Amino acid sequence: MTNQAEHVIEVEHLTKRYGELPAVNGISFTVSKGEVFAFLGPNGAGKTTTVEIIETIRTPTSGKVRLLGMDVTMSKHDIVPRIGVLPQGFSSFDRITVRETLQYYSRLFCRGKNDIDGLIDLVNLKDKTREQYKNLSGGLKQRLGIAIVLVNDPEVVFLDEPTTGLDPGARREVWDVLLGLKQKGKTVFFTTHYMEEAELLADAVAIISKGNIIAMGSPRELIESNAKYLLLTLQSSDERVFAIVRNMGFEPEHDNHKNIKVRVAQTDDVLKILNAIKDAGAPFLNLEVRKPNLEEVFLQLTGEALREDPKKMAAK
Amino acid sequence: MNLRIIRANLVVKLTSFHRERTTMFFTMAFPIILILVFGTIFMSQDNVSYHLCVQDLDQTTSSAQSIKTLEHDGEFKITRVAPAVNATQYVRDNKVNLVLVIPKGYEGSLRQRTVFDNPNASATITYIYDPSSSSVVTKMQILDSVLAGINQEMSGMPPFIRSAQRSILTRQYRFVEFFVPGIIAMSVMTLSLFSTVDSDTELRQKGIIRKLSTTPITRTDWILSGILYQFILAVISTMAMLLVSRAVFHVSLHIDAWLPAFILLDVIAFVGTGMSLTRFVKEAQSAAAAANAISFPMMFLSGSFFPIELMPGFLQKFAKILPLYYVNEGLRASMVFADNLAALKDAAVIGAFAALVFILGIIATKWEEGA
Repeated sequence: MTNQAEHVIEVEHLTKRYGELPAVNGISFTVSKGEVFAFLGPNGAGKTTTVEIIETIRTPTSGKVRLLGMDVTMSKHDIVPRIGVLPQGFSSFDRITVRETLQYYSRLFCRGKNDIDGLIDLVNLKDKTREQYKNLSGGLKQRLGIAIVLVNDPEVVFLDEPTTGLDPGARREVWDVLLGLKQKGKTVFFTTHYMEEAELLADAVAIISKGNIIAMGSPRELIESNAKYLLLTLQSSDERVFAIVRNMGFEPEHDNHKNIKVRVAQTDDVLKILNAIKDAGAPFLNLEVRKPNLEEVFLQLTGEALREDPKKMAAK
Repeated sequence: MNLRIIRANLVVKLTSFHRERTTMFFTMAFPIILILVFGTIFMSQDNVSYHLCVQDLDQTTSSAQSIKTLEHDGEFKITRVAPAVNATQYVRDNKVNLVLVIPKGYEGSLRQRTVFDNPNASATITYIYDPSSSSVVTKMQILDSVLAGINQEMSGMPPFIRSAQRSILTRQYRFVEFFVPGIIAMSVMTLSLFSTVDSDTELRQKGIIRKLSTTPITRTDWILSGILYQFILAVISTMAMLLVSRAVFHVSLHIDAWLPAFILLDVIAFVGTGMSLTRFVKEAQSAAAAANAISFPMMFLSGSFFPIELMPGFLQKFAKILPLYYVNEGLRASMVFADNLAALKDAAVIGAFAALVFILGIIATKWEEGA
């Protein structure tokens, strides 16, 4: 009972296959009560399959999944009233207004005297209550989706890629709402392929790649344990700088802005590089030394980027 | 089954329908347009008269009298063709399908027979016709029967076999009154089938079904609210059709509890069929095509537009396995013949079909994504 009280989600050796194609390969993890848990991975990694199994939308091929102490394959009817789900690419009835939509979902959960106004305030849609769903912007639609998720005052909230497809402004609006949920002490399980979203919001992160969890912990722990190096970034128009660093035995790279990026083991290496450039009389404009972020950790762990390069996507 | 959930769904569906003005207009207008168009066509069938061209080569009092007889019979509207005109060329040039030619010497032959009792005296009336016209055969058959009547009268003997007509109905019905129940059955089928297919594929594609699967609504609640919604629309649409047919064509039909009963069974049968279809056809366009593939044969072969007796034998047998046939027959049994026993038999058949597809619809409605 103690374990169930602490862990609202328990996933053990979960496997899901579509025919012969494995989508999820025997993954295990737990989510504690009140925790904001980010499930991180690129498209096709198995995030949505996993979250939909936990939400009782899909059935697993093997393994055990317990939600709020109940087996998800056996107790759908007991689980559903206690959770809130925002599916990937959420949509609603085009001609129904914001208020009517919330009233509708509230009635589905048989919560007659629900605080619809409170929910509207929470997601900051007070000025849009009479607006039909089809007339809302992407960000407003997602905020309404989050309000819908909360109509039954759920113990666990699932958000599958809540900010995908939104512009930066709309994403920040959704983040504000999620931070509000965090402050209210809700257990939140969300999937994303935006690293900064996970770093900003999550207490714990699981990184999934090709159906396997390859790292798990708090964002800080993941960085500490997986990125035992410093990242030196130099901006220089002098082509000699790149050669100098390479000749010292380091492996410099150019980033998208033609900056030179070098991984170094310790701060002494930074000084050695700077001294060598100074001795050669080569100029540089900017200098940054920092620990890697979660995105770079992901790249190091999986060898693949979380999101496709926009240039490659445009080329496709 | 949760009545509050069903009510909530119903409110959302009706509100969406009310705000979708174009859909609302066409949903209501389509059956009314059908009633107006086909009602006009079938009203004229009750007072049908054919256009007939006559060339009188005899130009006598007797030939003129015979033409008047044809005209007064009421079946023909006569156009006279001048004797000098080439009748064959006239048919070709004027796109008429038949010219009746009264020969020269018609009055002479008539006098030989009636005044001088010459049994060998006769006149040959020629039909110059275009065989590519579908109505010309009917026209010639009617003319044959008129000429047979004239010959009989001239023989001076009373006919041996006479005919008498006795309708099974207490009052005289017009064809349009048999037609209206068929249009009601067909419109309810089309409305239920297409509306279900459109709505379900759209909601599935938008992911709304997926969201609903994470709420307490069950498949049964969902399907029952869909049926109730379609039933309300079908009742409104039927009332509109009955009002228009009464106002425009003075159609008067017997309305009792069988009417809503058959509408409900029609709705259940085709909402269930639509739900089963969307299980197998995921894309909206393919779903609409599949719905067309089901509704079109049903529309034309089940007796909605014309009696199945006009069709070849094998198609008549086929018609009797179509569910819409039993809705048509049941509605006619109750609204025209006021025959409760016949209506009950038809209701039993369509009821069994509706129960079957309703269960299939529940099974086919994929709520969870499955294994």
